[in-house]
Amino acid sequence: MTASTVPAKKDRGAPTLSDDHQTIRIQEVPVEESVVSITDLELWYGSFKALHGVSLNVPRNKVTALIGASGCGKSTLLRTINRMNDLVPGVKVNGQIVYDGVELYGSDVDPVEVRRRIGMVFQKANPFPKSVYENVAFGPRLVGFKGDMDALVERALRAAALWEEVQDKLKQSGLGLSGGQQQRLCIARALATEPSVVLMDEPTSALDPMATDKIERLIEELKKDYTVIIVTHNMQQAGRVSDRTAFMHLGKLVEEGPTDQIFFNPRHEMTERYVSGHFG
Amino acid sequence: MSERAPDRRLPAAKTDMFDPGGANTRRRNRNRRLFGWATGLPILLATGLLAILLYDVVTDAFSWQVIEPNNSGVSFSFTDGFRFGGTWERVVTLDLLEQGLSQEEIDETLLDPEARRIYGARNRVELMLWAEGMPLRYVVTSSRDRHLTDLTLAQGFARRSEMEAALEPGQLFVLNPWLDIAFFTKNASRTATMAGLGPALVGSVMLILLVIAMSVPLGVGTAVYLEEYARDTASTRAIELNLSNLASVPSVVYGILGLSVFVRGIGLGPVVLAGALTLSLLVVPVVVIAAREAIRAVPGTLRQAAYGLGATKSQVVARVVLPNAIAGITTGVVLAVARALGETAPLLLVGAAAFVPRLPDGILSIFTALPIQIYAWVSENDVEFTHVASAAIAVLLAILFVLYAIAFRLRRRFGRVA
Repeated sequence: MTASTVPAKKDRGAPTLSDDHQTIRIQEVPVEESVVSITDLELWYGSFKALHGVSLNVPRNKVTALIGASGCGKSTLLRTINRMNDLVPGVKVNGQIVYDGVELYGSDVDPVEVRRRIGMVFQKANPFPKSVYENVAFGPRLVGFKGDMDALVERALRAAALWEEVQDKLKQSGLGLSGGQQQRLCIARALATEPSVVLMDEPTSALDPMATDKIERLIEELKKDYTVIIVTHNMQQAGRVSDRTAFMHLGKLVEEGPTDQIFFNPRHEMTERYVSGHFG
Repeated sequence: MSERAPDRRLPAAKTDMFDPGGANTRRRNRNRRLFGWATGLPILLATGLLAILLYDVVTDAFSWQVIEPNNSGVSFSFTDGFRFGGTWERVVTLDLLEQGLSQEEIDETLLDPEARRIYGARNRVELMLWAEGMPLRYVVTSSRDRHLTDLTLAQGFARRSEMEAALEPGQLFVLNPWLDIAFFTKNASRTATMAGLGPALVGSVMLILLVIAMSVPLGVGTAVYLEEYARDTASTRAIELNLSNLASVPSVVYGILGLSVFVRGIGLGPVVLAGALTLSLLVVPVVVIAAREAIRAVPGTLRQAAYGLGATKSQVVARVVLPNAIAGITTGVVLAVARALGETAPLLLVGAAAFVPRLPDGILSIFTALPIQIYAWVSENDVEFTHVASAAIAVLLAILFVLYAIAFRLRRRFGRVA
């Protein structure tokens, strides 16, 4: 099969994004109601510009989904919120992220402190090769937690809907749990440091539908106490769990608004094509 | 797919697809056997050579000898019998008891260093006598007995009846175990029957402990720095390149360095510490390379998880990276130490002594080590020293075997964790 035999896919004038595209905002969240407020964020990996002036207000105690095709910068955006991108060599950030009134990229802000307040769950469950208990206790131990560790571990495991399943095997290795349980263990581990915002980077992409369902129910529960920002490739998942959705394309935020608006009444043609599964 | 792949079906099968014993199957089976032989042969060869080496060492570490005892110093009978590994104190005690001394008198005598020296030099638990199928000890005052014939273990068994038939009155045909328990504690000696590994063993152990104490912190620290902290600059890359080169520099070069820097430069002299420093130079690059590999093998997802929980860089290193790399690091250290244990050239240059009559009493004492002692014994004129050297080689091989077994076990445990 040679390239010339492939029919061009973008035949009927595929929608494009103008260079000076202004994000379309539906029922915009006021700054005073947001817990994280991103303004004109630009990010470079070396000479590659991965984010082009993204602005987004994330409402408190809601689930915000970031969607978009691979390489659109949604994971990058997520990782700027708890400054995980600082760990990538050659990264440069311009713009503002305000969290609880603090400018996260201010010169006097310690990224370690940021990560203790903004937890993160990764795409692939990554429990430490330690016991279930020690996995959850890892974060509190980092700050020399002196209180009742048993109670803290139980609280975190209950919050992650895992307590019933693991209360008899707290001393066993976290690697012995099933894939879905491991991911919920990672959520419990993130909750144990008592953050106010939880970032989730495609948390269910490696899980089967049953385990995915449990995590989605869990996310519903979590928003009572936490603000959740979730990156997902799964349109149905974004539709099911999120209150607001932001659609990104090539480092730009195309459109953001309440999830039902984005899915059923998108303003931009690209958003429409993406959420209906025509590209990406 | 707009274009189909060209029709390239297999040629029509000559036999049935399921043709046990058919032409294709036969050809494949033949090829498989040939391939098996071709790959198995080198392994067979290597195993065979190793077996020959071990056989040679073991059969040389024991020897059958015809002895003409000079009984003037010994009036000892074998009613009691000694188990393998009896001590000369016990021989002397039984001997003196037979001469009518009380146990208290004997104990008192044996406390006197001068008496100990005389009795110790005269009475050695050396030779086994073959009596009614049971090995018994024969006490020899080595300086007086005459060793007439010397046969290896295999030769002795083959020609035993012949030799025993040819014995003249007063002569004994005995099995001499050069490698017995006393061999580990005896000091060096000019006489083969009295020579032991004591100082060499202690010297080697001291060297190894010092090498571990110096090279592990340095090597692991360097590895952590290079993997976790160093930026990718020209100087970092130069260091990395040099590390790989240093690991393959001939050890004698390190010996020259050790001689000029530690022995002469700092003025330590030919002491344990100078030897250990020189061997550490040899070991550090190997440890660094092994530790870096182990650190690199720690999954990045674990680091990310720890950073995501608000760990500082040093916390990530101390609580995630090192605990997960420790098995790999230990394996590398054990292998590097095993190499250092067998190194001869650098120690020769640093001035390890061939003859050390007593145990080293500190890190600033003159010393010898196992490979040096073996080298010295092999160079001796006396045929009997061949046996002593073989016994020492057997000991060195056994230690190396144990070290490699430890490394192997660690590696397997490491594999299970990951």
